[in-house]
Amino acid sequence: MSKESQLRALVNQKLIEMGERERLKELLRARLIECGWKDQLKAHCKDVIREKDSEHVTVEDLVAEITPKGRALVPDSVKKELLQRIRAFLAQHATL
Amino acid sequence: MKMEAMSLSGLDNTKLEALAHDIYSDLVEDACLGLCFEVHRAVKQGYFFLDETDQDSMKDFEIVDQPGVDIFGQVYNQWKNKECVCPNCSRSIAASRFAPHLEKCLGMGRNSSRIANRRIASSNNMSKSESDQEDNDDINDNDWSYGSEKKAKKRKSDKVFLRSLKQPVLLVSLALDIGNILFYLFIYLSIS
Repeated sequence: MSKESQLRALVNQKLIEMGERERLKELLRARLIECGWKDQLKAHCKDVIREKDSEHVTVEDLVAEITPKGRALVPDSVKKELLQRIRAFLAQHATL
Repeated sequence: MKMEAMSLSGLDNTKLEALAHDIYSDLVEDACLGLCFEVHRAVKQGYFFLDETDQDSMKDFEIVDQPGVDIFGQVYNQWKNKECVCPNCSRSIAASRFAPHLEKCLGMGRNSSRIANRRIASSNNMSKSESDQEDNDDINDNDWSYGSEKKAKKRKSDKVFLRSLKQPVLLVSLALDIGNILFYLFIYLSIS
């Protein structure tokens, strides 16, 4: 295991241990709902499901359709806010 | 497991940025996956399309966004200047004054009972003569006991409260009258 991936694993572990990952997830979810991202994506889901057979939609289908669009639709302000928080966390806990 | 003490400060900025972006991507992917699971479950359980009916009904109840009209399409100050006929006194009253007028007209409601009590209290006070005081004091003494008040509704307790206010007034006026009588007696005795 390279040093970098080891470092990455340690950072992730620290994020989870300190509860910061949960906080970031909640923050992201709240911001995405506020800015209407969830509703936009849900409407897109409706179209996808109507096209395909609505009885036999699988999770994989949805994931393949939704995830790229979801990543693109995140507003810049939300992205900036989250990156700022992550950078602050990394700066605070420079020594693991 | 042996844990090495590692330091992030050894990394240069680009690597740090890349790390931050990776963490961010993981979080966004988590959010997307969460949504997918939610939607998939809704589809399988059959409640995903529950808020949609046929196209015609959806057109009928669409949100209206015009000035002067509320979101249902109704004009909202239509009845501000309409007049209603009172069933009691058969007068034509403006709509916004109708409820208070009904309260007074029918003699019901909090305000009208308060006004009536005040009127009774003031008329009793003004028409008080000296001989009547003794009788009224005996009658009013019942109000000081709390047993009868427990059964009474809130309106009656208002009346009792107002009546009990009269008591000190009566006592004072009684005392004044007695003092008056004694004064005249004294004068009379000193003269004779």
